[in-house]
Amino acid sequence: MTTPAVLADGLPGDVGRKRAAISRRGQARRGGRTRFPLWSWFWIGFAALYFLVPVFSLVQFSFGGTLANGRSAGFHWFLAVFDDPAFRSSFWLSAQIAFETVALSLLLMVPTVFWVHLRLPRLKPVMDFVSVLPFVVPPIVLVVGLEPFLQNFTWLYSRPEVLPFIYVVFALPFLYRSIDAGLRAIDLRTLSEAASNLGASTFGALARVVLPNLRSAVIGGSLLTFAIAMGEYTIASLLLFNTFPVYIFYIGQGPAAHEATALSVISLLLTWIAMAALFVIGRGGRETAQLGVTK
Amino acid sequence: MATIELQELTRRFGDVVALDSLELEVASGEFVSLLGPSGCGKTTALRIVAGFEWPDSGRVLVAGRDVLDLPANRRNMGMVFQAYSLFPNMTAQQNVEFGLRVRRRPKHDRSKRAAELLDLVGLAAQKDRYPRQLSGGQQQRVALARCLAIEPSVLLLDEPLSALDAKVRVQLREEVRRIQLELGITTLYVTHDQEEALSVSDRVAVMSSGRIEQIGSPAEIYGHPRTPFVASFVGTMNHLEATVVSSAAGKVRCGPAVLDVGLSAASHSDGDVVTMYVRPEHVHVVALAPGQDMPPELFEGKVTSLTFLGPVTRVGIASALGGLLADVSSSMALSLAIDSTVGVSIEAGSLRSLALT
Ligand SMILES: Nc1ncnc2c1ncn2[C@@H]1O[C@H](COP(=O)(O)OP(=O)(O)OP(=O)(O)O)[C@@H](O)[C@H]1O
Ligand SMILES: [Mg+2]
Repeated sequence: MTTPAVLADGLPGDVGRKRAAISRRGQARRGGRTRFPLWSWFWIGFAALYFLVPVFSLVQFSFGGTLANGRSAGFHWFLAVFDDPAFRSSFWLSAQIAFETVALSLLLMVPTVFWVHLRLPRLKPVMDFVSVLPFVVPPIVLVVGLEPFLQNFTWLYSRPEVLPFIYVVFALPFLYRSIDAGLRAIDLRTLSEAASNLGASTFGALARVVLPNLRSAVIGGSLLTFAIAMGEYTIASLLLFNTFPVYIFYIGQGPAAHEATALSVISLLLTWIAMAALFVIGRGGRETAQLGVTK
Repeated sequence: MATIELQELTRRFGDVVALDSLELEVASGEFVSLLGPSGCGKTTALRIVAGFEWPDSGRVLVAGRDVLDLPANRRNMGMVFQAYSLFPNMTAQQNVEFGLRVRRRPKHDRSKRAAELLDLVGLAAQKDRYPRQLSGGQQQRVALARCLAIEPSVLLLDEPLSALDAKVRVQLREEVRRIQLELGITTLYVTHDQEEALSVSDRVAVMSSGRIEQIGSPAEIYGHPRTPFVASFVGTMNHLEATVVSSAAGKVRCGPAVLDVGLSAASHSDGDVVTMYVRPEHVHVVALAPGQDMPPELFEGKVTSLTFLGPVTRVGIASALGGLLADVSSSMALSLAIDSTVGVSIEAGSLRSLALT
């Protein structure tokens, strides 16, 4: 289960930079279009094969095999998976945890980043540093450190509701970066001063002026957070909770290979939907930004 | 409408004294400009009035009431910012309605008031545009309408036109003034553009290093600067070193010439060295025909530079009095050439030492 790793590539901060790089390359290509088209296509094709062949095999296998009655399987494995009560309970558990993680992260990060940008700009480098810590500390280290601490809270420790509190840490870099980038794109100080000059409270300014302008940043960061929480395996399995990734791993270990691949296809689809949503939102943001430059 | 009083406002940022016991009174319905060079504390003063900054000491009274203990969102003041400050997620109309929405006015009142104000700033047709679809000048008009919508007690503007190009700037400052007069709203206007300050204000307060150097009507500030700073900051000024010859008769010696200052020089004693000031438009230049003798009432000068400024040409002259700048009509300047000898006179009564005015 490597959903987070796949998605890590799509960090919003990176997306912007990459997009800039892509458009720069686009211009360069327009200048010297005929230079090395053959080689470009070769490498693109090669990379595509490298990524697509395994995916294709996976999808093929999930539809493959013959049933006891001699017919080809078709959607059989998918239906079998959907029919499994363990699938449904683990899927809903993960979805619920993911929603809670998103809600908790937003509650924590939006006001914090807003406040740091507005009132404590000197803390920004500290925030930048703290926000990458989850990348440096491996999950296994985190969970080993957390366990003794969590044992003080037995009522929470034994329940899956503990997971959002841990996943918030993993989501931190993604959410922080995208909100930070969103805030940099607007003149936060002037906008919030204008709002309070017109009578809005700090909360009113945040809710009516700042948040609406951060919409794409917040949605983007939330989707990433959701995907991370949905796909996290290490901690959930160490703490013995039956989340969706743990369930997939469990099925994969067993004899039901077709069901396991069907599950993988489902989780890949989820990831891609999240990515597509990110892309669409990102493009919306870019269009607004471009219009903003035109006076 | 309300009066504004700043009393002994002091604000330090570390070692920088942004405001140094600043005193200012703005009468009800008056338009006062704070004019001064960059860093003299204009923005700081305005932000203290608006509630975005706090003084180390001093008081701010609006309509006689101390407002320093009120947060910015309770002061009911209208502020137009230097940076574009419209909310990007709202149309012009929604921006103007914002303050009323915060005040929970009914929808129908809000849109009626917003329509009136957009009409007042001449943007009724653009009400459904987003800020990104408006020009800089239009955005600042909407910003003005937006802060007027809440019927503020005072209007505060911090260089609202500085990001606009020259033509729009002139047009818009006149519009700001028209609207201000129409509504009779007490206005404090920050600018570092003297032409702007002199053209629209009832009174101009010239600031330097956190203090007000001089406050007065535009004509007073221009015609009777009281400190060397004001004299050199507002408009162009000639400085002449002179020695008092007779304080009783108001005569000074400048180079070889004895000049009649025309005012009592009682605050000086004979022999004092003083700096005399005269505006370029009060220095007159006469072109001499070849071979013509210098008339006795004129000083001899030599043209060192000619700068075309449109209706007038600014002539640099080297004379026995020192270097002088004179503004002559551009048509007359056609008869002048660099290095030619000219006759120079200084308009009676226009030469003054600051202490004499
Ligand atoms: N938040 C701050 N922190 C530190 N110093 C400040 C701060 N705000 C203002 N200053 C300093 O106080 C002084 C006055 O600043 P202020 O912004 O009021 O000047 P200004 O007259 O508005 O200048 P300008 O015409 O450039 O806008 C300056 O020296 C400035 O560097
Ligand atoms: Mg300023």
